[in-house]
Amino acid sequence: MNLQKVVSGFFFILAMTINFGFFYGDIDNPELHSVYELFVALVVSLISTVLKIGDKTQLGAVLLATSLVADIQLIAAVTVWTITEYLSIVDIEAFAAIISLSGGALLANITSVILYIGETLKSKR
Amino acid sequence: MSDNALWIILQKLRTPLLVIIVTYSIAILGMVLIPGMDDNGNVYHLTFFDAFYFVSYMASTIGFGEAPYTFTYEQRLWVSVCIYITVVGWFYGIGALVSAVTDKTLKFEMMRSKFRKRVQSIKDDFVIILGYTYVNAEIIKKLHAVNMEVVLIDTNEEKINHFLLEDFSHDVPLMVGNALLADTLSDAGILQSNCKAIVSLFKNEEKNLRISILTRFLNPKVKVVAKSTFSDITKSIIDTDIAKAINPFEIFAKRVDIALQSPHVLILENWIYENSDLMNQAMFLPKGKYIVCGYGRFGKLLQEKFEKHNLEAIFIDEKRLASREMIESGRFIRANPDDKEVLLEAGIEEAVGLIIGTQNDIDNLSIMITARKLNPEIYIIARENTMQEVSIFQAANIDWVFMFEKILINKVSLSLSKPLKNRFLKLILNKDEEWAAKLVKLLRNRIGANPKLMTLKISEEESYAIYHELLEGNEVSIDVLSHSLSDWQKNNAVVPLLIHRKNEEILLPKNRMLQVDDRILFACDEYSKEEIELIASNIYEFYYALCGKEKESPILKKIFG
Repeated sequence: MNLQKVVSGFFFILAMTINFGFFYGDIDNPELHSVYELFVALVVSLISTVLKIGDKTQLGAVLLATSLVADIQLIAAVTVWTITEYLSIVDIEAFAAIISLSGGALLANITSVILYIGETLKSKR
Repeated sequence: MSDNALWIILQKLRTPLLVIIVTYSIAILGMVLIPGMDDNGNVYHLTFFDAFYFVSYMASTIGFGEAPYTFTYEQRLWVSVCIYITVVGWFYGIGALVSAVTDKTLKFEMMRSKFRKRVQSIKDDFVIILGYTYVNAEIIKKLHAVNMEVVLIDTNEEKINHFLLEDFSHDVPLMVGNALLADTLSDAGILQSNCKAIVSLFKNEEKNLRISILTRFLNPKVKVVAKSTFSDITKSIIDTDIAKAINPFEIFAKRVDIALQSPHVLILENWIYENSDLMNQAMFLPKGKYIVCGYGRFGKLLQEKFEKHNLEAIFIDEKRLASREMIESGRFIRANPDDKEVLLEAGIEEAVGLIIGTQNDIDNLSIMITARKLNPEIYIIARENTMQEVSIFQAANIDWVFMFEKILINKVSLSLSKPLKNRFLKLILNKDEEWAAKLVKLLRNRIGANPKLMTLKISEEESYAIYHELLEGNEVSIDVLSHSLSDWQKNNAVVPLLIHRKNEEILLPKNRMLQVDDRILFACDEYSKEEIELIASNIYEFYYALCGKEKESPILKKIFG
């Protein structure tokens, strides 16, 4: 068993699950979406990106790309949240944008996990 | 992969990036969770943005103060923890970045990709030269003189730095690398179609062989010029079909051979190498007994030549041993040649020539002085080993000084930059004294002491007029090119030396018909050179040189009928 594989697998899947936790719930109900969850989702996503750096294979490159997509979506969601909060716009449209951005990030994370599982299954060790 | 450098940076920064992300998120989360107090004493929590803002300037030690309200002691307690974890993480990241940028592998990768780009941008023909030595530097200068580009590889970084100080007329892409690796050679552009040759003159001749084999498989169109003095390596090098083995010992031994039987050939050779003009007196080497100091590869080659001419030769060497037969017959003495007794034993007093070929300059000079004292009449041929601007050998009144480095420089640069001249030289080396003497006389009488050499190719670019005349099916004799443009019945100072075509080589062509793609070598003076070029490319001048009449312009002819 390779500790490095455990750690990276842990973070890849954690990024997806936390992202799902934030995304799950009515899109127009702010009470169902915790800001802490968004924060942790972003941090874990960043960590998993860094863990994917340095693999120069074709699959490694695609994994890194999906992770970067998730990062950008989450950063966009956080930015929108911050702006609406500080400009005191209480707008259900803006909130829906945050949730759908995180939904996009979730898709990217799911792709990345599927690829990761595929690679693991293919590996003979 | 050309972006190796970027990957190296990213890989080195993985851990620092992780440290920064983790420390930041711990600090931010703590700042958000710990309750603070605003100006009016109400409890409040920092938002994530507030916390991110604060931690960002805290971690980078910018420190704008406590915001948005003064912190409570609970918050300050947490901040003091954060300072240590984030600031350390931040500095670790910067330190890692700096060390990654100054990293040797990274530098190498950056240099490599720069080198590759520069090689790829070369448009003209170029030559790859392996190793920066005095010999190679001289070859580079000679190649630059005929506008050939050069790419240089050396394993030693310090040598490359020396190279940067040298003054070359063209830009030379250079790289530190091991030339014995196929990767390095492909970086140097061996796969490019405009790579014409690779020069491998390593002292370790196995390397030269390996380069020849590598090149054979990487790109068989590239010519390899390799130094080789051992016969088995030479054979293997020649077996690659694309490589040419250059043996300076052999070249010089051949010169001694020529000097014994046909010194005029030697005069021609020196003139072709631009070492001297044709006015030198042709001197036969004296026939008689020779003494040779040094019985290595060079000595053995000389022995063959002396045996061919039935001359007696006695070899002296301290370190090497000869066959028993040679020792018993007194043709080999194992001793230090720099000794009066030894030279006397070898019979210096009745010898006519002395060839000093050891690898030590001071020894060579010392032997020379001793020998001159014992026999003032003796003809001395001495080897000079180190290239120096002020040569003691030139001042030492030696009849014939030779240097293997110079031979290499001349030979390699001639065969790369002036292939036609090289061809001509190869052909005349086998000619006899009578033939050479006649040619020297002809050149001297018709052109002068130091004729120029020029080449002309029958092609659309170089000789438009002749090319089109041939395409129309008319025959053109080579003699047309030597006609004078002021009076076509007179001849300019031109001697055509060689016509080289696909499967034929014609020495001293006379009244020969030209063909498309012929390459011609002329000896001529500066003035005739211009006229040859004019006749070859200008249809009016060509017509005049051909039949002595002015050609009418085809357009005017149409108009005036």
